Amino acid sequence: MKKFILICLLFESFNASEFSIVVSKKVTLSEITPQQIRDIFLMKRHAIGNQKIIPVNLLGQDISRVTFENEILKMDRDHLNTYWVKQHFQGITPPITQPSHESIKAFVQNVEGAISYIPSAMVDSNVKVIYEF
Amino acid sequence: MYLRFLALYLVVLTSSVHAAPYEFGHGFNLHDSLTAGGYISTEFASDQQVDTVTIDDVAVMAYGNIGSNFSYLAELEAIGFYHKNITDGDEGGSQKFHIERLYGDIWLSDTFNFRLGKQIAPIGYWNLEPINVLRDTTSNPLYSTILFPKFLTGIDMNGYLPQSGTTRYHLFGQATHDMDEEYINIPNTHFYGLSLEHELSMETSFGGSIGEFIALKSDEKTQFLQGNAKYDNGSLLLSAEAIAAKTNYQNSKSDVTLSGYLQSVYHFSNEHAIVGRYEYYDDQHRDYRDHIGIFGYSYRPIYPISIKGEYQWHSQENENRTLLSFSVLF
Repeated sequence: MKKFILICLLFESFNASEFSIVVSKKVTLSEITPQQIRDIFLMKRHAIGNQKIIPVNLLGQDISRVTFENEILKMDRDHLNTYWVKQHFQGITPPITQPSHESIKAFVQNVEGAISYIPSAMVDSNVKVIYEF
Repeated sequence: MYLRFLALYLVVLTSSVHAAPYEFGHGFNLHDSLTAGGYISTEFASDQQVDTVTIDDVAVMAYGNIGSNFSYLAELEAIGFYHKNITDGDEGGSQKFHIERLYGDIWLSDTFNFRLGKQIAPIGYWNLEPINVLRDTTSNPLYSTILFPKFLTGIDMNGYLPQSGTTRYHLFGQATHDMDEEYINIPNTHFYGLSLEHELSMETSFGGSIGEFIALKSDEKTQFLQGNAKYDNGSLLLSAEAIAAKTNYQNSKSDVTLSGYLQSVYHFSNEHAIVGRYEYYDDQHRDYRDHIGIFGYSYRPIYPISIKGEYQWHSQENENRTLLSFSVLF
């Protein structure tokens, strides 16, 4: 029985989501689709319903950003670069950035409508998880 | 006004005190409320009569966000900046800058947003990415150049359709003169339309538009129905657009013009691509029709720098030609 529980726990830990999409606790939004997240971070969508949304990216090439781009945006860096060059002509700039997961979390906590991704291990009662990947 | 804008643009561009690191093709991001950029393109054309070299577009633009609910964009462009006929040696050009776009966006919700001012008419794919450097061919299909106004000076209400996360709409209208009538393909004071765009998947989308306009010079009303579809998996891009435009001609019956294209772009690396396009054009009023086949090659050492070559076969044989171009977005 102990072995079975151990195997179940191990299996669960392998399946646990590595990163969480988080928003401020003040936001009434409770869930979001990957398509909506993608549209928000590609600046195609500025709101969900009447809730203004401000996407925040992690600066640089951290694994969380690379995973987010590959799994949610489904775009590699070259593809994203092409996309943002085209958006420059449309007058659209990429999301704002923050230098660390800690600063992202603080930003999301304090700015209503801010949305970003942090390691699931960093999630606490100060932010609301609306999607995991 | 234009000179003041250009002077301000140069001052802004050279004062990079608060600027983020510059990334080629992404503009000079000086502040959240101000990003500056521009583009330039040169073209060589050779047909059976003449060879010409043109510095076709020289454009500067500035845009930014003011708060979370408002953004703006201003763009000035000199088209036909310099032109030389290599065959007979004639040269000329116009260095006059025109208002290409000048608008503000008000972002209210998922469903209701407004764009006010002079803007690109939100019809299809080609019209929304009209500049040389963003295209895969030097030439534009006839579909995109003569059958509907490329710009709108008016209001575009846009957003996602209620209860839909994948269908966008644009409901637009113009009831005044163009902001810069020297710089529009069809000057008009009456232009209304509705466009829909549905994303089936990340690779596939389709859409369509209906609308009408009254050309200022001829006072002739045209009603159009347009459709478009696209498949893009990163290496293969297939796109097709078509339009049927019915014009009520003065002192004669109404006639229909049909036009469309099917284009295939295959990227065999980030830098290199080959392009094939078939175009159809049928103007029943003038009894003029043409089938056009285009084969081209595109080289981008980096995405914002484009070097392209193409050859066009026309069913009207004397219109066959070769085009080469070099263009940059900065």
